[in-house]
Amino acid sequence: MVNESRLNILMLIGLTVLLGTAGARLFKKFRVPQVMAFILIGFFLGDSALGIINKELLFSFSSFNIFVLGIIGFLIGGELKKEIFEKYGKQFVNILLAEGLLAFVLVTLLVVLLGNLFFENTAFVWALGLLLGAIAAATAPAATTDVLWEYKTRGPLTTTILGIVGLDDGLSLLLFAAASSVTFGIMGRGETGISQIFLRIIYDSGGSVVIGAIGGLFLSLIVRKISDKYGIITFSLGIIVLILGISKLLKCDTLLSAMTAGVFITNYIPRKSREVFELINELTPSLYVLFFTFFGAQINLTNLTFPIMLLSFVYLIGRTTGKGLGANLGARISKAPKTVQKYLPWCLFSQASTAIGLSILSLQRFPGEIGNSIVVIITTTTFIVQIIGPLAIRIAITGAGEAGLNITEEDIIRESKAKDIMDATIPLIFENMSLTEILKIFGQTDNLYYPVVNENKKLLGVITVDHIKNSLMTSGLDTFLLAYDLMEPVIAKTSPDLPMIEVQEILNRYNLEYLPVISAENKVLGFLEKRQISRKISTRLIELQKQAESLG
Amino acid sequence: MKLKDYIDEKLICLLKGKNKEKVLLELINLICQNKEIGNRQEIKEAIFYREKLMSTGIGLGIGVPHIRIKGIKELIVAVGIKKEGVAGYETIDNIPVKIVVMIVAGEKEHKLYIKFLSLVVSKFKDNEVREKIIKAKNEKELYEILISSE
Repeated sequence: MVNESRLNILMLIGLTVLLGTAGARLFKKFRVPQVMAFILIGFFLGDSALGIINKELLFSFSSFNIFVLGIIGFLIGGELKKEIFEKYGKQFVNILLAEGLLAFVLVTLLVVLLGNLFFENTAFVWALGLLLGAIAAATAPAATTDVLWEYKTRGPLTTTILGIVGLDDGLSLLLFAAASSVTFGIMGRGETGISQIFLRIIYDSGGSVVIGAIGGLFLSLIVRKISDKYGIITFSLGIIVLILGISKLLKCDTLLSAMTAGVFITNYIPRKSREVFELINELTPSLYVLFFTFFGAQINLTNLTFPIMLLSFVYLIGRTTGKGLGANLGARISKAPKTVQKYLPWCLFSQASTAIGLSILSLQRFPGEIGNSIVVIITTTTFIVQIIGPLAIRIAITGAGEAGLNITEEDIIRESKAKDIMDATIPLIFENMSLTEILKIFGQTDNLYYPVVNENKKLLGVITVDHIKNSLMTSGLDTFLLAYDLMEPVIAKTSPDLPMIEVQEILNRYNLEYLPVISAENKVLGFLEKRQISRKISTRLIELQKQAESLG
Repeated sequence: MKLKDYIDEKLICLLKGKNKEKVLLELINLICQNKEIGNRQEIKEAIFYREKLMSTGIGLGIGVPHIRIKGIKELIVAVGIKKEGVAGYETIDNIPVKIVVMIVAGEKEHKLYIKFLSLVVSKFKDNEVREKIIKAKNEKELYEILISSE
């Protein structure tokens, strides 16, 4: 029985990963962020549709979800370097307070206004408004950062989004603690005083920061002394999981703890930490598939009533308007770059685990109508914003000109074809050109290798600077030696559409310094010289860096 | 590098043909006696293709038809003389070609090939050597002159 159950879980994981990945690839063709594919496929596999992924399975994966969120928090922390805090710190605080508080106020007011039309109990309506308002302040870090990483963004908008999504869950938790306390008061179950709320807040955030910082310190001391990547990745994962476990045990915020550890190591060992973040980052794609597909599966839309549908609608209006206006206002106050002012409001729609978690907490603390209504409203709206949110972020980052600016040398090679990198302006040397004519061409360009072609521009061979040197050292040949006599045979050549990864493999396999690029008719279209490939890629990287810096 | 290291007694002749085409074919037939050369047609095509690009009459009555070809490891040289001069062999100084040195080298023997061409040019530019070669009465005498001209 146990074996059968385990087999089923394994089959489901396999199915989830396969379907999620296949869906994401299909969505990519339509330029839709992959996270939407994961969530939609999860939704169809979940209880609301096919029922393949059930509640029991999802429950058994609750620790996995904390782990993935912890990894995301750690990676976000890695982006928050000292210089970022110095440059954007004030901007983060202004935007965070404006968007979080405005969403809280608007959602609370709209829910209270509409709630009064359906429910007679004013205390109930206010409790619902306050708790939903508090939950509205949170933005999903995972879904948001996944889009940023998928589109390799870089620039002031990206930095601001990372700062905000990493912090506004904290704001939401604080508001929720306060709203819960007020709710207890107005519902006549006053158990907690204001001072206790503040103590709880200080304990929550302070505890998380302390746990994260200690974990970060340990991790820094360990990875500083090891150089093999397997060692780095296993120690890093071990410490991150331990940080999450201790935070959970002490009832602190796991996301904030992991984020603090990330912030600590990126500032304490800046150079070495890059390796840590790069290695951890390589793990995320496979984790994301499961995380978001399971997330989609837990969305349950079966308990929707008309008032709840309307409340969900006003929650969405209030949250979207509040976050949008607040983000714009905060960005204006802190004189953020124009792209941040214009596009940040589009980037804070996503809500996910924190909102769902707080809705479940509401159900535990306020069982009955309040808790139930909140769970259904948050589930419904999460489904909607998780579909719209990633799309809005994609449009915003593209509009802000930040997509594709955060790429490495490997990315450029991976995404390029021979035709993107080749030198299409290489001078052709015709087979009947004399040594004097060849020397003239050599004098005008800085290439080391030149293709030799016949009158139809079909490739015959290659002339190298070395060949010419040999010929110059011998006398009396300049009058009758032709390119045809001097060229060497072509060992390998490529088509313009061959991916650069394969081009590099060919260069390495034959130990070549160059590769002619030819058409199907063997006509020379361009030339790839090893040293020029590196130069071209470096130039492209510098261009992208300058482009990102020019944005703010 | 010495000329005698690359000159083979069997690959030397007093040319019978009167025009360029016949003379080149004569030397190609001679050079194909070397066991390294498997495909005569390939040699013939390459020699005539090179002549089409530009005549190898380098002046002072010397012609140096030369090619590099796949599958050959050493340098193969054939020498022929035509006292009356070869008809139709274009040269840069309009002096008729009387000495023809055909060189076939391996595709990758670039350095050796260039060095040998340079050696041939410098040796045959010497008037005295040239006169001696042209006056040779038979193949044996021609061979003796060539190997003793170091």
